[in-house]
Amino acid sequence: MEPNGSGSDASRQVQARFVTRLPPPLRVPPASMAVPSHLTRFGLSDIVNLLLKNSDPDHENQPFDFLIDGELVRMQLDEFLIAKGISAEKVLELEYVKAVAPRKQEDPRPHDDWVSAVDGSNSSFILTGCYDTFVRIWKSGDVSECTHVLEGHTGAITSAKFIDIRGVENEQNFHLVTGSKDRLLRLWKCDAAKRRGDPIRVGAYKILAGHTSSVQSVSVNPSREMICSGSWDCSIKLWDVKESEEDGDGTTISLKKRKVNSKTKESVDARLEGAATSTLVGHTQCVSVATWPDPDVLYSASWDHSVRQWDVPSGKETWTMVCGKALNCLDIGGEGSALVAAGGSDPVLRIWDPRKPGSLAPIFQYSSHSSWISACKWHPRSWFHLLSASYDGKVMLWDLRTAWPLAVMESHQDKVLCADWWKDDSVVSGGADSKLCITSGIEIQ
Amino acid sequence: MGKEKYEESSSDEEVNSSSDVVEASSDEEVESSSDEVEVSSDDVESSEDESSSDNEKVEESDSSEDEVAPRNTVGDIPLVEWHKDEEHIGYDIKGRKIKKQPRKDKLASFIEGADDPKNWRKIYDEYNDEEIELTKDEIKIIQRVISGRTPHAEVNPYEDYVDWFEYEDKGHPLSNAPEPKRRFIPSKWEQKRVANLVRKIRAGLIKVSDQHKEEEHNVYSLWTDDTDSVENKKHGGYVPAPKPKLPGHEEAYNPPVEYIPTAEEINSYELMYEEDRPKFIPRRYLNYRSVPAYDKGVKESFDRCLDQYLCPRTRKKRINIDPESLKPKLPSRKDLRPYPTTCYLEYRGHMGPVNCISVDPSGQWLASGSTDGTARVWEIETGRCLKIWEVGEVARQICWNPSPDRPILAVVLEYDVLLLYSGMGDIDIQTKMKELLHISEPGATEDAGDSKSAATWIQHEKHDGIRMKHFKAVSSIEWHFKGDYFTTVVPSGDSKAILLHQLSKKHSETPFRKLGIPVTAVFHPSKKKFFVATKKFVHVYDLSKVEKIQKLETGVREISSISIHPGGENIIVGSKEGKMCWFDLELSTRPYKTLKVHSKDITRVTFHRTYPLFASASDDCTAYVFHSTVYSDLNQNPLIVPLEILRGHKPEHGRGVLDCKYHPRQPWLFTAGADSIIKLYCH
Repeated sequence: MEPNGSGSDASRQVQARFVTRLPPPLRVPPASMAVPSHLTRFGLSDIVNLLLKNSDPDHENQPFDFLIDGELVRMQLDEFLIAKGISAEKVLELEYVKAVAPRKQEDPRPHDDWVSAVDGSNSSFILTGCYDTFVRIWKSGDVSECTHVLEGHTGAITSAKFIDIRGVENEQNFHLVTGSKDRLLRLWKCDAAKRRGDPIRVGAYKILAGHTSSVQSVSVNPSREMICSGSWDCSIKLWDVKESEEDGDGTTISLKKRKVNSKTKESVDARLEGAATSTLVGHTQCVSVATWPDPDVLYSASWDHSVRQWDVPSGKETWTMVCGKALNCLDIGGEGSALVAAGGSDPVLRIWDPRKPGSLAPIFQYSSHSSWISACKWHPRSWFHLLSASYDGKVMLWDLRTAWPLAVMESHQDKVLCADWWKDDSVVSGGADSKLCITSGIEIQ
Repeated sequence: MGKEKYEESSSDEEVNSSSDVVEASSDEEVESSSDEVEVSSDDVESSEDESSSDNEKVEESDSSEDEVAPRNTVGDIPLVEWHKDEEHIGYDIKGRKIKKQPRKDKLASFIEGADDPKNWRKIYDEYNDEEIELTKDEIKIIQRVISGRTPHAEVNPYEDYVDWFEYEDKGHPLSNAPEPKRRFIPSKWEQKRVANLVRKIRAGLIKVSDQHKEEEHNVYSLWTDDTDSVENKKHGGYVPAPKPKLPGHEEAYNPPVEYIPTAEEINSYELMYEEDRPKFIPRRYLNYRSVPAYDKGVKESFDRCLDQYLCPRTRKKRINIDPESLKPKLPSRKDLRPYPTTCYLEYRGHMGPVNCISVDPSGQWLASGSTDGTARVWEIETGRCLKIWEVGEVARQICWNPSPDRPILAVVLEYDVLLLYSGMGDIDIQTKMKELLHISEPGATEDAGDSKSAATWIQHEKHDGIRMKHFKAVSSIEWHFKGDYFTTVVPSGDSKAILLHQLSKKHSETPFRKLGIPVTAVFHPSKKKFFVATKKFVHVYDLSKVEKIQKLETGVREISSISIHPGGENIIVGSKEGKMCWFDLELSTRPYKTLKVHSKDITRVTFHRTYPLFASASDDCTAYVFHSTVYSDLNQNPLIVPLEILRGHKPEHGRGVLDCKYHPRQPWLFTAGADSIIKLYCH
């Protein structure tokens, strides 16, 4: 029998064949073998590791996850077969993938106040917004190093985004946008040059005013030329940043002048102020999220319990879905980048498929959290993985192929206010305990 | 001795009787010599074996009557009358007529009888119409019967007593004393008594009724089952015992095999619920004596005793009403969603009981006032405390201005009302508010114009607002929906109890006459109406005419808070004894419904602005959420459904939930507790 040690006392066995899409060093011979049916994924993982070790003595043990008919095994094999109504007579095809689990908890980056916004779209820097009105840029690396502090907002930062996600090596400047509770959006540019010592203080080169209440979210469109923002004044505003970027290039020197001026005078130089190109009206309450995943399509979620899809050129609603709860977060991703994941004023993370005709019921509901969900993000490349953060202090990793969370990260001591993927294998999250936590080593193929 | 005597006497009698018929017997002997021979031969036989011969004779005598079949078969009918004129006297066994014998005339028969020496032995048998000649033996028997002796001479009526059964104490035999004489002679006293009765009857003292009354027989049906009869039911007593089953049923000691459960069946009984399990499991016993005692006997008799001991001795009149039918028909809670159910967010920071909360009209911020001398503004979405004012005194009431472009908070301290800019507006609003909350000449104009003004407006430097001084402690504050006027209530008996203030003019007035001690006052949400609650009544005023329209009688001991439905025609009133009254202003001045829900004081009742919900908070640490549909149709009464009890606050110094407010746009409820926490309950 197999050298798994538990084969002798196993009463029942199933014929199984291990298959994988992993690269060759992690492939086991495709022959079918008898496997004790009481094994869980951990036992199966042991078997695969032993098989790999037989062929390659240098193999290091690692956990695997197992898929049967596209569903992750989360219980004993026999229970799974009974639950899914799969015959135990056939040769079971067990596809194994690397288990998705956080392997490393990096040192948290301390802040002066609650961390309310985080962006991990740049692979070498992390952008965080904080309740102390500052936006910070953190460099990746083992040492917690804050490279830039962006000053200017007078209210808590609610959202911060990189407009350019090009790497630092080939680009000298960052281009950023932030939204705040002071009703303004600010555009920033800063030098990415490495420098030792204190973080560089940077001021905004442009202020986007127009919202009459606090800005809740900011999002950049795929072409990186437009941004959209959702606000408590129930509107979504679209802003053009392409031309302002060009303006910004010319006014980089005058920035400091303005900063000096602003200290003495409250009025803002009109030249530095930008106006919205268009406003999307339709929501009846605070627009908590607006995202722009597609050049022509924009999604928004609101406290009026609805998720709306907007056609950007015409500025009209094309799809409305009412879910019954005030929504705090929304993200588009998954299969074909078309699934809508949203969470709000209840502990359930819901996923809808807007392509499905005639039904507005969520296709997936995940309810392992115990409080409001504050953030949800699809993995940038995987169709199955997403993360959610909640006020109960937990960040959870989800796989659409199982109803249980893949991993629960309890690194925060208080509410988690924001979370994002970073460098495809890490999760960054900020919370009310004034920390930015980075969990890395999450391998997702 | 006695025995011999009897024998003697019997022999004497024989002699006597025989002597009576001496003549006849002498004749007989001659004629029936042949018979005699026969008889003697019989006697010989009998002498050989007396007992057996006796039996034989008895048999003969018994069968002799049967042997001679009666010739006539007509039966027992009066022959003389029926067959008097007939030629026959009847029919023989074959149905032929039996002819009558020719009658002899009397003379001829007399002569014949005189000639015949045996004539005296002849009898005429009327039935068979023939003459029978009796034999000598028969004559003897007749003679013996007549003389009162046994018919047969062989029978000894006084045989010796044979003691067949030996017994031990033979020395005490039954009494062998002869019968006393008095038993054989008629009683003298009886005779006297009878004579006495006869004399009385003759004298008419005793009346003997001729008519014997026929006894009425009580006829009843023996076989009918009268358990169901009306009579039985009326008396309500008798219930017959069930008929016992025939042997071979499952509870018999040796029931048929098909009743015996298998071991698997017995095991399956173990898995059943207690009530589903069969009461009796049949078992087989070889014989009746091996049936054990009933194992539950003691327990059951104990239970029975207990039942009888505890059972009520009177018959209860029970009305058979389905309890479900008594419940009011209310819609299911599921259909009334959304409403607040679960607490997801807590606002922590206050150091003392939170007395009051208020939500800003947009639903983004929450203001709270506490005993710790601070007023705070919170961000609802995250639970972050945005602003703290150190007011220095206990903040009793806090109220957000309902106008969205006037983010002003009114905070009630002991004697003062603070008007503060909340800081939640942009720069334009900020400058406007600063202008609004600025008094150019502090207090001077007011005091000069009206010396007995109820309140003085003073600039409050520390928090950059207005401080309004009242002459007495302020109990409640309420803004008008347009945000310019507001009212404060000073619980005092005089006419200055209710004050109306105008923010834009910084002016106060007291337009109302005195009416008891007011508790709280509120504005109508859309019309120019004003509600003042005193301890027991709610007065409704028309503000444009300044006159009283209605006076609502609550029937509670002390009103603690009131709230007006957004439609304006319905009011809820919370009282300090835990009762809540719903008034429909168009229906009546008495409560449409009174709900007794809380065990302690109700601290606050409140309506939701948009959802059909209202809530009550109480010192018993609970908040109740109710659904209330108010129909536009005047004929339909409001529908009130209790939905949820919200718990979570902990009691502190006997106080529980001190305030509750709904979110203006979401079906969420904020509760402020004495445990210094504000909770948000979401749907």
